[in-house]
Amino acid sequence: MRGIWAVFSALVKNWLRSKMGVFFSFLFPVMLLLIFGLVFSGSEGTKYTLYIQNFDLDQGKPTNLSAAFISALDSTGTFSIKKLDPQINVTDYVKENPSFSSYRILIIPEGFEKKTMNRSMSIRTGVIIDTLVEIEQMYGSYMSERNRKIISEGRLTLSEWKKATPTVESSEILVLTTEGDTAAPMIKGIVYSVINAFNNKLIGAEEIVKITSQPLVERKLKPADYYLPGYIASFIMTNGIVGATSTISEYRRNGTVKRLAATPLPKSSWILGNVFQQTLLAFMLTAIMIGFGWLIFGVRAFPDAYALSLIFVGAVAFCSVGMVLGGVIKDVEAASGAGNAIAFPMMFLSGAFWPLDMMPGYLQTIAKFLPLYYFHDGLRNIMIHKNPALSLIPFLILGIFAIIFITIAVKVTKWKEL
Amino acid sequence: MTEKVVEVESLVKRYENIIAVDGVSLDVYRGEIFSLVGPNAAGKTTTVEILECLRKPTSGSAKVLSFDVTRDEMQIKKRIGVMPQDFNSFERLTVKENVKLIAKIYNRGEIKRSLEALGIWDARDRKFLTLSGGMKRRVGICMALVSDPELLFLDEPTTGLDPQGRKECWEVIRTLKELGKTVFLTTHYMEEAEKLSDRVGVIVKGKIVAMDKVDALILKYGGGVKLVVKGGEKAGDILKKFTKNIFRDKEGNIVGKFPSQKEASKVLIALYKLGEEYTTEIMEPSMDDVFLRLAGGKIDERGELI
Repeated sequence: MRGIWAVFSALVKNWLRSKMGVFFSFLFPVMLLLIFGLVFSGSEGTKYTLYIQNFDLDQGKPTNLSAAFISALDSTGTFSIKKLDPQINVTDYVKENPSFSSYRILIIPEGFEKKTMNRSMSIRTGVIIDTLVEIEQMYGSYMSERNRKIISEGRLTLSEWKKATPTVESSEILVLTTEGDTAAPMIKGIVYSVINAFNNKLIGAEEIVKITSQPLVERKLKPADYYLPGYIASFIMTNGIVGATSTISEYRRNGTVKRLAATPLPKSSWILGNVFQQTLLAFMLTAIMIGFGWLIFGVRAFPDAYALSLIFVGAVAFCSVGMVLGGVIKDVEAASGAGNAIAFPMMFLSGAFWPLDMMPGYLQTIAKFLPLYYFHDGLRNIMIHKNPALSLIPFLILGIFAIIFITIAVKVTKWKEL
Repeated sequence: MTEKVVEVESLVKRYENIIAVDGVSLDVYRGEIFSLVGPNAAGKTTTVEILECLRKPTSGSAKVLSFDVTRDEMQIKKRIGVMPQDFNSFERLTVKENVKLIAKIYNRGEIKRSLEALGIWDARDRKFLTLSGGMKRRVGICMALVSDPELLFLDEPTTGLDPQGRKECWEVIRTLKELGKTVFLTTHYMEEAEKLSDRVGVIVKGKIVAMDKVDALILKYGGGVKLVVKGGEKAGDILKKFTKNIFRDKEGNIVGKFPSQKEASKVLIALYKLGEEYTTEIMEPSMDDVFLRLAGGKIDERGELI
């Protein structure tokens, strides 16, 4: 088609020579990459702050058992533990120190160690008595009269002793969480598992069922590797929808479009020239993001030919959306506003920045209707899982999307005033 | 000079409740500079943009180089050169790159020769953004010229320029004529129309109110030569002998109107015979007078009718 190359090279030169334009085109994505990268893919993983108020003191110091319990909680690696002084009134403390994140407070009651030890003795005694009963019933007939008598007497003595000692209640650990805290069930679960391990140890039970865990993907990938395809997809999308929209409406506002419309240049050449310029920008953006990812987070998932083709299709698709918006909306400000209004919700809803499982079910359904979802999902399948076959559907969806939006862009872009 | 390159017949352009162009008919002949002159919102740009195939007419017919504007858009676009109103181009491309872009789109054009013809060869490597207003317009005219079109449309080429920039621009437009081009110009500067054009169409509120050669228009609507006499009370009596058309201007000078300079000269001779001290001034009618007569107002610097 006539003049595409001429328009493309003019647009590229005009853009590259705007040092500020180039700088800001890349600054925002790189900033967000750094911020999100640090937030989500730090080597330590997410830690939840857990306040612990320990009333089980012996001469002002935590009892051995309560100290052991706290260090067991700490060793799970899930919590960042903060100790609250027993003098503090928890309700007042929460009121006086409002916090953005939910409070999770664990309270160890006074007499925890003593109660627990007594309870443990009482339970152990119970277990021994039960065991002796079973031994008598199951093996009694094989025993000598003497042995059977000794066991029976021992059991009776133990039972009488147990009856004579007062019943000891189990000690209660209190976990306080904020209403609506989505992490609360998980935190309670972890605390419960620590308590369970304690219970077992205290009655001298060995582990019966064990758990081991291994990473599923074999390649040695950093967390940032996993997120990078999402960032790349997102920024190609925002660049296309927000960037292309404002660029094109600015060219129209300042009269450049009119100048070209008065030549024999077909408007489809103008549109494709712009789409290809934005696509080139998308590739540059990809290179810069991967470069930063490599330098700062040690990313190793580099795009191959499949990934580059998907990036091409995706860039064309989202730039076409920008061309449609820029074609329909005359006002430059309104056009970039509309671009933002589409791009940003899509960026966060599509699950590009965090796993979809973290979001409520209906949002996961919405995500599946967003083209960005297919873009980052396909890119991840190629770059991380090295499985281009899985990205066939993303290829198809984005390809069809691109064709539809280019067609609409050609329709709505006005080369001629009515 | 008889071949018509633009033929417009009863052209109408109607927007929802505004009639921008209300039955315009005009012809432009090969090799001439034709100016469509009028205040802002008179319908100049709408008319030109219909001829450039940038707008659709509501009714009427318009032919450019004998092609119909509604049917042969591409044929017309290939043969004309355009500088749109408020012309702008790629800001960070150089002068030469901008001109080259247009040459590439037309698939023809001698870049160097066009730049030289408009005197901007030395500025070829400067970025468009860094140019003065006058230089920008020259680049715009060069972009219209580079494809070697038969006909150029220049829509308000000097609006917003300082007097110096405007004069430079006029030189460039005269060059176009020397190159054998036909130029269709729009302007709200009467002086520009008068100095540059062979023929002028005066447009007011979407209608052509007069169209002819500049001289003919001035002769017909200019209201004749004015003779201004300062000092000497007897002068009034002398003037009365030659014309009935006498009045005093704002400064209190006696002004007489005459159909031609020759008639006014007779008065001068009579005045000097009296031997009194006079300061006299003969004022030739101009397009300003033509417009004042036709539209009942003047156009200010920004193109508004006052």
